[in-house]
Amino acid sequence: MSFHDKLRAIVGDRGLITGEQGKYPYLSDWRENYLGSALAVVRPATSQEVAAVVKLCAAEKIAIVPQGGNTGMAGGGTPHQAGREIVMSLTRMNRILEVDPIGYTMTVEAGVILKTIQQTAADHDRLFPLSLGAEGSCTIGGNLSTNAGGVQVLHYGNARQLVLGLEVVTPSGEIWNGLRALKKDNTGYDLRDLYVGAEGTLGIITKAVLKLWPKPKDTATSWIAVPSPASAVELLSGANSASEDNVTSCELMGRQGIDLVLKHLSGATDPLANRHDWYVLLEWASSRPRRDGEKQGGLGEKMEAYLGEAIEKGLVVDAVLAQTEAQARSLWALRDNHSEAQKREGPSIKHDISVAVSRIPDFVEQGVAAMKTALPECRPVTFGHVGDGNLHFNCQAPPAWDKPRFMAHADAITSAIYDLVVGYGGSISAEHGIGQLKVDELAHYRSRVELDTMRTIKRALDPQNIMNPGKVVRV
Amino acid sequence: MPDTVVQPPIPTAQVTPAIMQALRDIVGEKGLIADEQGKQPFVIDWRGSTVGSAAVVVRPASTEEVSRVVKLCFKHGIAVVPQGGNTGLMGGATPWPNHSGIVLWLGRMNRVLDVDPVGYSMTVETGCVLQNLQETAASHDRFFPLSLGAEGSCMIGGNLSTNAGGVQVLRYGNARNLVLGLEVVLPNGEVWDGLRALKKDNTGYDLKHLFMGAEGTLGVITKAVLKLWPAPKDVCTAWLAIRDPQAAVEILSGAHSASDDNVGSCELMSRAATDMVLRHIPGVQDPLEAETQWYLLLEWSSSRPKSHGAEGMSEKLEQFLAIELQSGRVFDAVIAQSEAQSRNMWRIRESVAEAGRADGPSLSYDISVAVSKIPEFINKGIAAALAILPGLRPLPLGHIGDGNIHFSFAAPKGMDRSTLHQHAPAVTRAVNDLVTSMAGSISAEHGIGIDKLDELAHYRSKVELETMRTIKRALDPKNIMNPGKVLRLS
Repeated sequence: MSFHDKLRAIVGDRGLITGEQGKYPYLSDWRENYLGSALAVVRPATSQEVAAVVKLCAAEKIAIVPQGGNTGMAGGGTPHQAGREIVMSLTRMNRILEVDPIGYTMTVEAGVILKTIQQTAADHDRLFPLSLGAEGSCTIGGNLSTNAGGVQVLHYGNARQLVLGLEVVTPSGEIWNGLRALKKDNTGYDLRDLYVGAEGTLGIITKAVLKLWPKPKDTATSWIAVPSPASAVELLSGANSASEDNVTSCELMGRQGIDLVLKHLSGATDPLANRHDWYVLLEWASSRPRRDGEKQGGLGEKMEAYLGEAIEKGLVVDAVLAQTEAQARSLWALRDNHSEAQKREGPSIKHDISVAVSRIPDFVEQGVAAMKTALPECRPVTFGHVGDGNLHFNCQAPPAWDKPRFMAHADAITSAIYDLVVGYGGSISAEHGIGQLKVDELAHYRSRVELDTMRTIKRALDPQNIMNPGKVVRV
Repeated sequence: MPDTVVQPPIPTAQVTPAIMQALRDIVGEKGLIADEQGKQPFVIDWRGSTVGSAAVVVRPASTEEVSRVVKLCFKHGIAVVPQGGNTGLMGGATPWPNHSGIVLWLGRMNRVLDVDPVGYSMTVETGCVLQNLQETAASHDRFFPLSLGAEGSCMIGGNLSTNAGGVQVLRYGNARNLVLGLEVVLPNGEVWDGLRALKKDNTGYDLKHLFMGAEGTLGVITKAVLKLWPAPKDVCTAWLAIRDPQAAVEILSGAHSASDDNVGSCELMSRAATDMVLRHIPGVQDPLEAETQWYLLLEWSSSRPKSHGAEGMSEKLEQFLAIELQSGRVFDAVIAQSEAQSRNMWRIRESVAEAGRADGPSLSYDISVAVSKIPEFINKGIAAALAILPGLRPLPLGHIGDGNIHFSFAAPKGMDRSTLHQHAPAVTRAVNDLVTSMAGSISAEHGIGIDKLDELAHYRSKVELETMRTIKRALDPKNIMNPGKVLRLS
């Protein structure tokens, strides 16, 4: 029996793609930075099928690239070019298995799309807080495997903080059932947190028990022009107490990114009359409904009062508060479409960095200077989660430059930025992970002891190196 | 240690006179304790139930000394038992009886290295006593929320190694949620510098979480970057006489919104456990004379100071309790009017372990289930235990918001320790079977150590145990790091 026949025997015709045209969407990453090759694309429908495929691959020494919505930024879900791997797409495992609104948990399969999870939670008057630009196509398995961040980390934490239990298929094809829904469980090593963020190199996440929160009942969203990143940091600092700890998002954006979104996103309009250099999208949310006749008012009134004071102090130049949910959504669209707009504009290099929150203003100033030194014509595009100390400190190619011409400068630009990040005690990958994009960068900036420890773990749990090989760390 | 636990194989390499001299060269005379009497406090656990031995107690004063000591032990295959305040309840920090290696006591590494109130973080050495860290944070108008009965003597390294819980988990999470970065000396003596103070950092495997909760079996935590929170400015503590555990779960459920999400702690106490504390701990007063079997210690706190004329925590709590009294869930309640009254209430809760030790032989289970299943668990668990050993006196209490019950029983009147321990395995099996059938945890916060070695092996799947063993073997190939704890390797 050929390898394809053996796969077909496990997953059926529906679960196997071998034609070049059919495979294509699974072989290239979302940003089309990588184009790999694969023996087949396998789409199992159950954990048992995943386990059987992994067992087969372990026996035949064929490597597996697990893939969810294929929306990663670092090439972690894209196969190498050699063509000796299979891609395992988890998208058919897309069932919600249980919603427990009283226990505030939801049990899901790995291939459920994030937005479906958000909506299911909302249908039960609950919130699943993970939220990011790709939420309409990314899957929860990928979100957990990359410890995804997004726009609500400030209040709820990274993906890691939103999960109670996991089911994982190990590199030998065994199913680890760690689907526990407990708040406290000190029974041995924390395997869950090892698989979360491992980018599929230690096993394949097949199911998860997610935490839910009360659904926000009172939300205020505003679009704010600020004089500088330093004002944004100060604005956020005061917002925590003014909102009574209800700040759920605080996103900083430079004008360059806004220009790109306005240019490429149909129907997008500038919420404010004048141009400004820096913007903040601020959202407050509380699970406590507004009560009629309450003298303190809801979050909208509180935010308005706070912004009024901030204008007097010079922290804010101009601001608009969303009056309807539709308005709030259109403000969010300006933020969420940054990556898409950058892609349509042309080639760009992304740097997903983090530093201490208080150092963001200095970092932005020095980072822009460093970029301009490396390539004076380049266009810095800065936006990000200022409350997490996490910026997408990107660099757009000069107008009309093609990819090869621009990429010739990529190493110089990136090295300048990463050296600066390391000098600030920061991270070169705050939320996007390592994938294949940053394997060498990680090896360059991390200590030998740390890399050796990671390699030791990788070799021990995946001795044949069949689980997403060549991603995160080289063994 | 349960009498039935059979010691797993551990390294047998001896500390020769030459190795002793090499240790002395690293840590100095001050850092070595080799005489039997001096070693005594380090080889017996806090409850006096596990008695081990060690060739020498080594007390390094710096990460570099830890690293050199562990390198030496690695080279010679000598077993190392890391120890902090020695307040663990599972024997994880106590050497096995035939341990021929060293106890590595970290209490000399007790410096606070940096406090960053603006960045809400604090960098500390592993041997800092928890209470000192709480006070250091408070002196900077910040809050380090980890809080538990042993806080006056337990050390942060032990807290992190065991992923300690305590009375503030409800709001702030376990010890692992309070940490940004770690420094760890690995089993081969190399130092991993992961002292990063970042909120977001997705660069490879999360080693930090692997070392936390590993009970010193994968390495020695030497430093940590801890998260801080705003200091509470408006705190209100109340002691409630309540109908039953079901009432407690319902009271907590309503308290979240009534307090605007400001519930800091919610501790269920049985009357029997409360009475035991009043009997054994001098100076503690009964806050409430009430005819009930159950009490609830409820604390609400906010970092927002009470502003003039506005409602603070005490007004909100008072209104809430008035409604709960009418509902019949609360029989009577008292709100602490002074810091001293509040401290008295907390002292009752936090002295349970100490009082239990003075009270005589007992059995104790640190379990967790879904919060809503707590009342069912308490009823069924007591029935199951009494069916095996009638006369056991239940003393349940716990962190109900976390689903975590300390499910303890005093021995039947007049029964001695050895007789009680003959019955222990059957009671343990019944309680842990019940926990497992209710999809709970057999060790919610105290860990595995020695005491639950066989229980973990009994209840966890082969895949899970094998994965843990693979990690242990890979990171500690000579099995020198706290050997024979948490896992049996074969």
